[in-house]
Amino acid sequence: MACNVTHLKLFQYLDGELSEEQRSELESHLASCRDCRHLADLERSFHQTYLAPLRPDPAPERVREQVARLLDALPDQQPRSAGWRRPSAVGLLVGLAFVLFGGVLWLSLQRPWHATNAPLIRLAEASVEQHQKLARGVLPHDITHGTPKAVEQWFKGRLDFNVSLPELTRDDLTFLGGRISHLRDLDVAALHYRVEGKDVSLFIIPLERYQKLGLGESPKFKMVTHQGYDVIVWSSHGAAYSLVSEIGDRSCLVCHSREEKLDFPTDSRVHDKL
Amino acid sequence: MDQKVEFQALTLRNLDSMYGYAHILTRNDSEADDLLQETLLRAFRAFGSYKRHLSFKVWLFKIMKNAFIDRERRLRVRPVEEEWKGDEGLPKGLTKELFLYAVPLDPEEILLRRLTIEEVREAIRRLPAVMREVVELREIEELSYQDIAVIIAKPIGTVMSRLYRGRNLLRSALQESATGRAKPRSSYGL
Repeated sequence: MACNVTHLKLFQYLDGELSEEQRSELESHLASCRDCRHLADLERSFHQTYLAPLRPDPAPERVREQVARLLDALPDQQPRSAGWRRPSAVGLLVGLAFVLFGGVLWLSLQRPWHATNAPLIRLAEASVEQHQKLARGVLPHDITHGTPKAVEQWFKGRLDFNVSLPELTRDDLTFLGGRISHLRDLDVAALHYRVEGKDVSLFIIPLERYQKLGLGESPKFKMVTHQGYDVIVWSSHGAAYSLVSEIGDRSCLVCHSREEKLDFPTDSRVHDKL
Repeated sequence: MDQKVEFQALTLRNLDSMYGYAHILTRNDSEADDLLQETLLRAFRAFGSYKRHLSFKVWLFKIMKNAFIDRERRLRVRPVEEEWKGDEGLPKGLTKELFLYAVPLDPEEILLRRLTIEEVREAIRRLPAVMREVVELREIEELSYQDIAVIIAKPIGTVMSRLYRGRNLLRSALQESATGRAKPRSSYGL
């Protein structure tokens, strides 16, 4: 092997990235060439002196504490629905059987609208997951204060749709912050409030994507209870919303005054058992 | 072993590296915290598919890089990337390929000055982002070219070129701090 080729291969050699054959050739050359051997020795010394002792900087204590809290809060079982994955063949058959069975059952019993409303359940499930992260501080706010207009402006240009925030007129409402978040594969605006000492998350969804879920217009406000959280889903004025709290329809105070009468048909509730 | 317990143990073992990489990508404390936590949540969700014979650290870094790219895309921030601009500026007779893989700078002078490890660490921190990423993954995390290529989703040739340029800049900075001379000098006498 010539000196210039040795120079070309020296880093790969020292990084242990040469094939056995190339390494052997290079070492034969080093054994016979004093200049190249000197260069290799210098490189080795440089590495051992300045680079080998380097270690990753220790994570700060606050990060260790945050991570410890997060790890403790992980469920004992991994979430069953880690995104809409491609189903296995067996899963597909079982799913098909369930769909057929469910369809027949639905036709025979003519149950209320929510009986087969899987998209709503999935939307609620994803909303609760994001709400928990916001409430635990796992997802920090990207914007923490400002008038609704200023917050809307912050979202403008970052999302593909216009974000319109509710006017906050009540004293018992606190805006904690907002960020871009995602419900599954859907980019949404996430707003975090506190009402009656409880966390409330409002996710604003592009209407076009909401409409593809096929949830229908009636009832206007669809309420799902999932893992102890109340999720209210609706569309209005060119956008759709998913609101998560532990205080039922009182969380509607985020957008509505106490005096307003809101129509919550009792059969619009779904007590999701997921 | 229970999956949650195993995940916790592997995460804690790699926490310093993960935080370090999050910081390299975001260059910001609070964004690094956010990215780290988002990565852990994604990783836990996908932990069932993690192949145990592969490096957990490389698997996590790959998830972190993807989470970072997604986040940048959501926030409409153009990722910091800089590519090779071509052979212009190279001395006559020195092709891009020769330049990329050659030993960049004689380290003898730097060795003689006995710099502190913290000076070296600081010089690495000051490297441009794309080079710092590769230099840290190689020199501090001791990852192979192949692992780095997987993490940054670039060909091995790109890893090698960034590593070369990063090492060259690092040595220039160290030499500057050791001798006050700014101009780099290669082992080819250029």
